[in-house]
Amino acid sequence: MGSPTGSPSRFSPLLASAAAERTMAFGSVSIRQYADNPVARLLPLVTTLLAVLISIQPVAIPGYAALTPAFTLMAVYHWTIYRPNLLPPALLFLVGLLQDLLAGAPPGATALILLLARVGLLPYRRYFVDPPFPFVWAGFTLLTGGAMLLLWSLHCLLDRGFVDFRGTVFRAVLTISLFPVASFVLGRVQRALMGTG
Amino acid sequence: MQRVSLLLLVLLSAMMIILGKADQVMFESLRVSVTDTAAPLLDIASRPLATLEALADRARDLVAVYRDNARLTEENERLLRWRQAALSLASENTELRGLLKLAPVPPASFVTARVIGNTGGAYVRNLMVNAGSEHGVARGQAAITGEGLVGRMAEVGSRAARVLLITDLNSRIPVIVEGARLRAVLTGDNSDRPALRYLDTVSGIKIGDRVVSSGEGGIFPPGLPVGVIASLEGEAPRVEPYVELSRVEYMRIVDYGLADGLPKPVQPAPRVGRR
Repeated sequence: MGSPTGSPSRFSPLLASAAAERTMAFGSVSIRQYADNPVARLLPLVTTLLAVLISIQPVAIPGYAALTPAFTLMAVYHWTIYRPNLLPPALLFLVGLLQDLLAGAPPGATALILLLARVGLLPYRRYFVDPPFPFVWAGFTLLTGGAMLLLWSLHCLLDRGFVDFRGTVFRAVLTISLFPVASFVLGRVQRALMGTG
Repeated sequence: MQRVSLLLLVLLSAMMIILGKADQVMFESLRVSVTDTAAPLLDIASRPLATLEALADRARDLVAVYRDNARLTEENERLLRWRQAALSLASENTELRGLLKLAPVPPASFVTARVIGNTGGAYVRNLMVNAGSEHGVARGQAAITGEGLVGRMAEVGSRAARVLLITDLNSRIPVIVEGARLRAVLTGDNSDRPALRYLDTVSGIKIGDRVVSSGEGGIFPPGLPVGVIASLEGEAPRVEPYVELSRVEYMRIVDYGLADGLPKPVQPAPRVGRR
């Protein structure tokens, strides 16, 4: 697992490139182009760290703190599908831990969720790499649902009682709704710095 | 190979969560040093958004300028009358204190801090501010704005610190309901309206009664405005805080000279009233 090239396309080469354009910037890439660019190799990590930073921003909307979209999850989903080898488990763990420490959450909670996201996502990666965006979005919806449920049960266990479930649902909905924006931005950046791949 | 390391990391994360819950102190110094390192970056990063919000507020204000002007003029007149009343009460107070030979209240020193981070959780309610021990902030100090109490300083690094809001699950503030003079503990539960618990009786409490800190336990001085009683339904009365906690940008961290009153967190088991 973790080769930079995508799964072999089932369509003719012409349709394949069109399909690649429709998805967020994945297609075939030359090994040389990818390996030559050390900046591009850092891109997944940098964008994920930016997502962590955005998650912590104070926003003066009443109740925002409880509904902050899981930007880190969006970044991790994107990169685990398109460039899993550039965001290995060790980095996922460190980024998750960093977010927990900065946000005041129990240390290890976000790390666990990000790692489990990778565990769940990697075997099915090929279903999300080529198909058009709605499939990618649907996959993210499933992932977010599972992640939020896990986070909620974790806090129920830790606080020994039932924590607010409606807030979790709203948060999941908000995260899922904002995913297209994140995917678009990440796709553009990926295309710009990594070529058409 | 990568699969093995992935599983190991999953186990490590799970262990950390359990350890972090069992022993609160273990990660505190790590959290503090990470916060300290990230604080300058967060400070810069939060300014553009704050500027945008200020611009949006300015635009909103422009729209309502006439209405606001009338309202503010009327409020100003009312406050000037209150000022006169306050001045005469203050001088009467000084006389009476002199008569009783009451010990003077020591002046409080404070630090003004800016909010540079917010937790993204429904499960934790705290803010990160850009003042730390090198500015004189210490654990247990009160964080207030002009409206009232915001919370209590929980973890303090050298450049940044964390404020535990009064709405947080772990927050316990001894308060008194002014109308009925009933003592209680303001208990946060991560909702917007913390509950009043350990009341002797609920009778005598009306909606709209002011809730202020009682000074019990020597943690906060008495009389800090906290909120008003907003609802009496359910198992406990709920308090609407005076401060709009989601809109706090600047706050004062006050040293009333009582910070020693807050016990350090004890290892290893969590207890009622921890932190």
